[in-house]
Amino acid sequence: MRGRLHPILTFAFAALILLFTAGPVALSLYGSLVPDRVLLDPDRSLWTEGPNFESYRYVFTGQLPDSYLQESANRAMISDAARQVPQSLANSLVVALSAMALNILLGAPAAFLYARYAFPGKKVTFLFLILSPLVPAVALVTPIYMMLQALGLVGTQLGIVLVHAAKALPFTVLILSVFFRKIPPEIFEAALLDHCSRFQTFWRVALPLALPSVGATGLFAFMISYSEFMFAMVLSGDAQTRPVSVVMAALARNTDVSWNLLNTAIFIAIVPTLVLVVLVWRFVVEGLLSGAVKG
Amino acid sequence: MQLRKLVAAMALASGTLLAQAVVAQETTLEFVVWNYSLETIQDNVREFEAANPGIKVNVTDYTWPDYQDSLVLRIRGNTQTDVVYGGQDWLPAWGAAGFIAPLEAVAPAEEIEALKSDIAGFALTDVTYDGKIYGLPYYADTISFIYNKKILEDAGIAVPTTWEEVTAAAEKLKAGGMDKPIIYEYNQELPNFYDAFVAQAYGRGAELFDAELNPQFADPENGAFKQLQWLADAYSKGLVQSDNHESTIITAMNTGAHAFTIVYTYVLAALNNTAEQPLAGQFALAPMPGEAHSTLGFAKSYVVTAQAAADPKRAEAAWKFVNFMAGRPYTVAKRWAVEKGLGFGQLPLFEDADVKAAWGKWADMATLADQAKSAKAGTYTEYSSVWSAYFRPLLAKAMVGEASVDQVMKDGAERWTMLKEQFASR
Amino acid sequence: MWTLRRFPALWLLPALLPVALMTIYPIAQAFWTSLHSVMLLFPGEPFVGLENYLRVLGSNYFQDALRNSLLFTLLAAPTVVVLGTLIALFLHGRFLGSQVVRSLVLLPWVLPGAISAVLWVWVFHPSFGVLNGLLQDLGLIEASIPWLTSPRTALPAVVVAHVWTQIPFAVVLLMAGLSTINPETLEAAAIDCRDPFKRFRYVVFPEIKSMIVVLLVYNALTAFTSYDLVYAMTGGGPGTATTLLSFQIWRESFSMYDFGAGSAVAFIVVAVSAVLIVAITRALPSDLFAES
Repeated sequence: MRGRLHPILTFAFAALILLFTAGPVALSLYGSLVPDRVLLDPDRSLWTEGPNFESYRYVFTGQLPDSYLQESANRAMISDAARQVPQSLANSLVVALSAMALNILLGAPAAFLYARYAFPGKKVTFLFLILSPLVPAVALVTPIYMMLQALGLVGTQLGIVLVHAAKALPFTVLILSVFFRKIPPEIFEAALLDHCSRFQTFWRVALPLALPSVGATGLFAFMISYSEFMFAMVLSGDAQTRPVSVVMAALARNTDVSWNLLNTAIFIAIVPTLVLVVLVWRFVVEGLLSGAVKG
Repeated sequence: MQLRKLVAAMALASGTLLAQAVVAQETTLEFVVWNYSLETIQDNVREFEAANPGIKVNVTDYTWPDYQDSLVLRIRGNTQTDVVYGGQDWLPAWGAAGFIAPLEAVAPAEEIEALKSDIAGFALTDVTYDGKIYGLPYYADTISFIYNKKILEDAGIAVPTTWEEVTAAAEKLKAGGMDKPIIYEYNQELPNFYDAFVAQAYGRGAELFDAELNPQFADPENGAFKQLQWLADAYSKGLVQSDNHESTIITAMNTGAHAFTIVYTYVLAALNNTAEQPLAGQFALAPMPGEAHSTLGFAKSYVVTAQAAADPKRAEAAWKFVNFMAGRPYTVAKRWAVEKGLGFGQLPLFEDADVKAAWGKWADMATLADQAKSAKAGTYTEYSSVWSAYFRPLLAKAMVGEASVDQVMKDGAERWTMLKEQFASR
Repeated sequence: MWTLRRFPALWLLPALLPVALMTIYPIAQAFWTSLHSVMLLFPGEPFVGLENYLRVLGSNYFQDALRNSLLFTLLAAPTVVVLGTLIALFLHGRFLGSQVVRSLVLLPWVLPGAISAVLWVWVFHPSFGVLNGLLQDLGLIEASIPWLTSPRTALPAVVVAHVWTQIPFAVVLLMAGLSTINPETLEAAAIDCRDPFKRFRYVVFPEIKSMIVVLLVYNALTAFTSYDLVYAMTGGGPGTATTLLSFQIWRESFSMYDFGAGSAVAFIVVAVSAVLIVAITRALPSDLFAES
């Protein structure tokens, strides 16, 4: 695609990109390993006492960091809200994966139709899909809350999954339709010659070719659900079923959560999600770079 | 044969279950809270359930910043809600809207009278609306003027007692190299932004409203007007650093970069947390500067909803629950005070030895008790929280010099009067 | 493109119905609310026509909020797309460590808004912020720069944080788009055209144009309606420097208890968003909606 870039320039760009995207997260990792009394002291740093894993230990086991066991310390001054992070992470993953699966299942067929076919009502329905996310969600909280209440879904994970899936669907359909369009028409002509039905064309021909794009769109739907805050907050009433976005927002405003504990919680929330996302993304990228969508 | 035995056993079992269901008739109370120390809340709830078989309490928690909106949604969506944490600034509005019920609807009058005598002055005002008591205190606190003892000692500055002295101290510290001696919680979206302002006005002995609820603060001689002017001046002199939230103030103060702040008293406990904070022990509270040294006190309470009060079984269960959590012998309130350093509105606890011992770790108990006794409640009406939401951005603008103090106060007074009339004629 | 005679319900309804459920009734309700006086403190919901809209347009926050939101969008959306394109182009080739960079570039995506706010507050905080510390250590500045508390730097600072959160999605989408380009086309272009900029402009850009339009529209919409990150970082301050229009929807409804006004603000936001989107799609014609 382009000539070889000078290796030093390559390294420089890569370093810049990493600094920008990963820098703040590295900061968080640092903060999670250094207790506040060291962190806020300009004369001391990570190397003064070495990495300190006690806040991680606290989140997972509830065992107080050693500094709380001193005579003068008040053991209650550390918030138990931080211990909700692992459970809420699991909740978020379940909800986000469900929303992602729903999006692909419901969205891919529709995207294929919009990309390859003309039919009555195409423009109207496509416009409807594209324009539906225009209204800010915060204005729709009350009617959607009351609607879900009537259906008995308030306080359930299913309710949140439905809202999240509906939120991402317009974009899923839009993006996937762009990718389905990119598939050269000759492939479809060949399928037609082989007397493939519409569904077979979709299932056997289009989908495999667009699989990396489907992966990318799935990731997008996952992310919309994972980071969504407002509906997750009003529709989950239980610390047990609460997603991580709500728990983290509360931790950020909690005076009994030290900076160190907050960063620990942040890092714990990042790692599993990052692993999952990277795995999917590598699959997607391999597919993209090996030319799955070539003519 | 086997099958018949099985069927008979099942019939017997289900019959027993049904009978139990008919007899037990459990009431489940929906208790809505903000999630401060959720584990403690749940533990208290378990103790209540153990002492009251037949009543189950289901705890739904929201985070503090979202508590009010979530409750508003529950009101509009008619979600079953029985006992809630009530806040003093929205109590009159909810009372007027018919969402909450006065305690006399669920409890005998003599019991309420007896409990009333134990409630501290400002706390009592805060739980009362339209002459009736709507809740029992869960948590009561004051707003404090907090300073770093060591910084003042090292610089040879006496603890300021007036706002002019605060300016002088700050200017001296700034000349000595401290860039922004005062760190101030500046967030126009938080109700405590207005509360802190009122607390400072009370320090001067000013009243923002008169007995007929007419606004007084547009008058340049009024203490509140003067205090806003003081804030605007302090900002323009570069003495004040804004901070979005008290949690980052705790971190910032512990870098030693600031000497003064004005926050809720519980923040002092976090500032002096020896387990975490490097400068723990250096922070203390002083009486609010100004001639009167008074400050704002506020109380959060346990409140019963109208929905629960309408159903006799729920009403009875709700009162039992509220009485357990905040009534005599105040075991739960004491637990919050001793274990978590949470302020309280029940007078007997001020004399309690355990409370005194626990609090001595992070505050001077004598100063604190004095402050609580002289604290005054804020002025809350049906429309005051709406007005406050309108007024706070104006305060924010005046502080940073985007609008004049005069204009802001006039605007605020006009809006109050307008709302007052609007509400009176509804 | 094949033609069908009947509406392919089986294929489309599974996607259309959930969206319809979450939009048609709620939007209708919200619109109805905007035309009535719906206030928590006053019983009854009388019809008031456009009164809510007029009140909002004349309110003391409207002009500031609209200006800030537009400025925020105009700064953030193009930045995300441009930066995203550059990064995607860069990461499209293989080099030592490219896999690592491609994975780490996703990090901002993995964070909920509240957390991104915490991290960027840590970067920008005047008292214990990392940026000030770094600049001071390097000797570039004397006193801390009040990034978040000075009216001139507050908006750019939150724009930086917002852009950070949106980059991964742009990169993902653009890399996917770049991969659909036929490598033979690229090889031919490399032979015919030595200047990489010309190559990009005439060969690469047309291929990913529709993707860029999608991204631009999506980012414009997101930037114009987002407020979580900004309010977690600055609370809308200092003064009115970072007050955003979309936040007023929440504020009118849940702070001022005026759901009618809140809904009115929402539909004003919709109107402006629609104008923005039309402007973008007109300025960058692509085959997104073509019939071909």
